[in-house]
Amino acid sequence: MPSTTAAAEKLLLQMVDDYTEREISPQDMPMDKAGDFPAGFIQKLTNTGFLGIMLPQEFGGAGFGPEVTADVLNHIARGNASTAVTLEGHFKTIDQILKYGTPALQKALLPSATDRIFAFSMTEASGGSNPMGIGSTATREGDHWVITGDKIMITNGGLAQVYCVLVKTAPKELSVFVVDQDMPGFSFGKREDFLGLKGTPVGEIVMDHIIVDDDHLLGKVGDGGIIGDSAHDDARILMGAVLTGIMEHDLKIATDYAKERKAGDTPLTDLQVTHRKVADIAMRKETTKLLYQKAAQLKAAGQPYSEEAAMAKAHGSRAAVSAGDDTLQILAGYGYSREYPVEHLIRDARAMEIAEGTVEKMRSAIAKAEFNK
Amino acid sequence: MKIVVCIKQVPETNNVKIDPVTHNLDRRGLAGVMNPFDKNAVELALNLKDTTGAEVALLTMGPDDYAESVREGMAMGADSGYLLSDRAFAGADTLATGYVIAQALKKIGDADLILFGRQAVDADTGQVGPIVAEFLNQPQITYAASLRMSGPNEVTAERLLEDTKQTLVAQLPAVVSVRSELNTPRYPTPRNIQLSFEKPLTVWHHDDLDLDDTRLGQSGSPTVVTKVYAPEPVKRELTPLTGTPSEAASQLIKALKEHQLI
Repeated sequence: MPSTTAAAEKLLLQMVDDYTEREISPQDMPMDKAGDFPAGFIQKLTNTGFLGIMLPQEFGGAGFGPEVTADVLNHIARGNASTAVTLEGHFKTIDQILKYGTPALQKALLPSATDRIFAFSMTEASGGSNPMGIGSTATREGDHWVITGDKIMITNGGLAQVYCVLVKTAPKELSVFVVDQDMPGFSFGKREDFLGLKGTPVGEIVMDHIIVDDDHLLGKVGDGGIIGDSAHDDARILMGAVLTGIMEHDLKIATDYAKERKAGDTPLTDLQVTHRKVADIAMRKETTKLLYQKAAQLKAAGQPYSEEAAMAKAHGSRAAVSAGDDTLQILAGYGYSREYPVEHLIRDARAMEIAEGTVEKMRSAIAKAEFNK
Repeated sequence: MKIVVCIKQVPETNNVKIDPVTHNLDRRGLAGVMNPFDKNAVELALNLKDTTGAEVALLTMGPDDYAESVREGMAMGADSGYLLSDRAFAGADTLATGYVIAQALKKIGDADLILFGRQAVDADTGQVGPIVAEFLNQPQITYAASLRMSGPNEVTAERLLEDTKQTLVAQLPAVVSVRSELNTPRYPTPRNIQLSFEKPLTVWHHDDLDLDDTRLGQSGSPTVVTKVYAPEPVKRELTPLTGTPSEAASQLIKALKEHQLI
């Protein structure tokens, strides 16, 4: 008999596949057209317990580990990448509160993570990949902190109710605080109109003299850079999983079509040009899968995983854009048509060459890690 | 109130193959899932649990990996599970299966309501529920599309057949098989999946039950599957009715009279 953990993970993925097929996949095209989740979609996802998959059981979650959590997002992304990315944003934020939050903050905040979405925000108009360029500040006043600033392009911005925010506590010092949408001084700004991942809200928050106590600080003052990097690492594993799911979706569309379509009298499956494209899509999918699973495995084992996580995202995002492009070419006019999902899979994948650090930044991080060996 | 839901693990749909030698279902290498109709029965039991505080147990017969479907049902909310697993039970037809399940139900004892899915999607017989009811000498309602407690010791069900509906009342204890129209089964939540492994799952082997060995397994099964095949479509002769509607109607009446149908 399999171990309890393996049996539970199998059951979880079985449920996720069932849910994805019945509840998520049918919304893939409507979501892309409407540019939003349909009404009740997030509530049903919440009611079914998806928000608490990796949250420890002591806080009311299911307590599944990093490997199967990534696999869950992989399986969801086969049906719809936006849903998986919304969960990615939530999970990476919970991870940072678990790693760096005080016990008091964890106890106060984390039980609500089963029915409230969390988000991590770093980017500002003045700085994205350059965190020192941000203008948001937290100023010490008596026994509390006063936070002021604007954060933009937040995954789940506007949807999430709890935000980890990167701010400056001194001109050259970054720190991360947790703020809640119910706090005085918190408001939402505009929602971005992005090219892909149309279901995932990406938006702005405005913090106007929000007052928080020391318990809302993650880690120590000045740990902002470390925590930001950690959030990126955790997100990149999950993005590798999402990208794998997008490529699995591509592969299914490409092979289903090739099996039915003929060019003249020749089935597409007999054409070498089809073979090459399908094989390339399959290899890109499989290499990305191995990369994210290795990174998740290292994370679960408590070993460094930053470089592997960067590889999963850097390789996976370009691989998924290319896989989408090959799929589009196999389907030709149908691939280019907005009546079919292929073109939006390319747009969805393209987001992940930028989000959670550009691929250029990933490559620098990977190269530096190699130089340091 | 105690409810026992009898469930079956079936091969994932669309992958069913027939063993060319035994003519039975070839389950090798196929992922197993809980029979979809059984999920409706579990959901009904859980609704009754929500409203009456009933205790819900699951019961299945099969190899060790059938525990997966029992766990799934417990993750949906059932309180406990029983797995009847022994080489001696292998190859059982519906009668031999029903016999072992009935004996297990006697051992569990005090079940007020025994639920089944209308049929399993692998073999499609729908016989085990009624057979169990006969072994237990209990009233049975099959193909229930709705069910409610209509008294402290009574259920009322709407029985939906191809061309008719019946409203039936049964005194408890009773056996009921349910249709998918009854409800939409809930998904097991991730947390409940984890917690289901803390719930009791009892495995009973041959020696744990009071059994007549001549009624077990393949040798105890009167059913012999000689061949499984898709019937050839029957080719029927078509006679088009032509002309105006009035002329067509006359032709139809004439044809019906010729065939002595009217």
